[in-house]
Amino acid sequence: MHKYLKQFVHKSPWLYRINAGSCNGCDVELATTALIPRYDVERLGCKYCGSPRHADIVLISGPLTTRVKERVLRVYEEIPHPKVTVAVGICPISGGVFRDSYSIEGPMDRYIPIDVNVPGCPPRPQAIMEGILKACEIWKKQIMEVA
Amino acid sequence: MINDYIHAGIALLIFPGGLFALATGLLFKGMDRIAVARLQRRVGPPVLQPVFDIIKLSTKEILIPESANDAIFKLAPMMGLMGSLVCAALVPIAGVWKGIPGAGDIFVLLYLFSLPALAFMFGGSSSSSPFGAIGFSREMVIMFAYEIPLLATLLAVAVRADWSLSLDGIIAYQTANGPFLLDPVMIPAFLAYLLFIPGTMGAGLFDIPEAEEEVIEGPVLEYSGPLLALFNLMSAVKLMVVLSLGVALFFPLLLPGGIWVNLPFHLVKCLVLMLTAVSLFRASTGRLRIDQAFIFFLKYPSSLAYVSLLGAFLLR
Ligand code: SF4
Repeated sequence: MHKYLKQFVHKSPWLYRINAGSCNGCDVELATTALIPRYDVERLGCKYCGSPRHADIVLISGPLTTRVKERVLRVYEEIPHPKVTVAVGICPISGGVFRDSYSIEGPMDRYIPIDVNVPGCPPRPQAIMEGILKACEIWKKQIMEVA
Repeated sequence: MINDYIHAGIALLIFPGGLFALATGLLFKGMDRIAVARLQRRVGPPVLQPVFDIIKLSTKEILIPESANDAIFKLAPMMGLMGSLVCAALVPIAGVWKGIPGAGDIFVLLYLFSLPALAFMFGGSSSSSPFGAIGFSREMVIMFAYEIPLLATLLAVAVRADWSLSLDGIIAYQTANGPFLLDPVMIPAFLAYLLFIPGTMGAGLFDIPEAEEEVIEGPVLEYSGPLLALFNLMSAVKLMVVLSLGVALFFPLLLPGGIWVNLPFHLVKCLVLMLTAVSLFRASTGRLRIDQAFIFFLKYPSSLAYVSLLGAFLLR
């Protein structure tokens, strides 16, 4: 694709949420505080999409429990390239409060390449947004490299 | 004869179909998103956001489900986009463009109008995803529901305009006798049309076939990359067609001056129509169930349109 057009690509990051067995704390932060009216990330062009096929930036929350592992990996595979992954909350990073539990398969980066970690239990909305901005940068680099 | 073909070609490819419809459609979509954001006290995306989305989508890879019907899956978005582009070329703009000679008939338009919806259905059903299938059935139900008031509205306008079936004739009649928007008999039909717009665009109450939270965007669930971009373009052009048609049917008022006054004036009218029928509606209503939407369309917009139709017949 033309170089000139390419520099606009990163202006349209579509976000997709995967819940890998999270306690819902992080999902609440994602759904109701960080990415909706008050902070309005729509001005960065972000949009939640319902289908994994439309996603550019994947937000994963939760420690990857045994039950959801297969599904999470499968959904992750279904996301078209290029994609950037953000781990939201301490759960996907280390297991957080669920660490050493018998039903946890994490940490997440054993199975999925994680590009940005946003620690916190749950992380502050500002932190999540910063993580998404960082993910945008990484995504931009990926696009430029594909040239 | 040759001249006619050249005329039609330009209409399809550049103005008012083709490039013009794509550009204005995308711009209008952007303004719609900003308007909704402002109504919710947000800042909203840049006006060119839909354009960025299209550029982005064209860089992504295309994934096609193994069990999908390949040919139909790829053809559906193209068919939808072409259908809506043809529609855009057929709708005249008062004082600017008279429509392709001999082709601006409201019934032709009614048929072509269903192409984008059909494209959604084909896309959804060929994707082999159960959510696509649910979206397909919802799209079909809502299409049946909104076509009844649409047909009645078009008929009412045609009868009121002295049995003129061509859009150009309808515009000519209104230029001579005043726009239908100011005509008490036609106001119910206009209201019906106002409700039809969000119905066909899937906004607010009628965002049912593509409901994200229920059927994960339904028919477009399996689409990715450039094919999804085609669907986005289709819906942008369709938005333009619906708005232009509304203006042509009810308010083709002319300002003194040539094309350069009337074209912006037309766009302003379209914008006002969009802000009321799409943006305000989308920002202030939630989603209905599909059966509720079906009954809603049969009850209110249809009866409004029938009132106008009856009035038009009686007062003829
Ligand atoms: S990080 Fe904390 S809030 Fe987030 S899912 Fe884990 S336990 Fe819940």
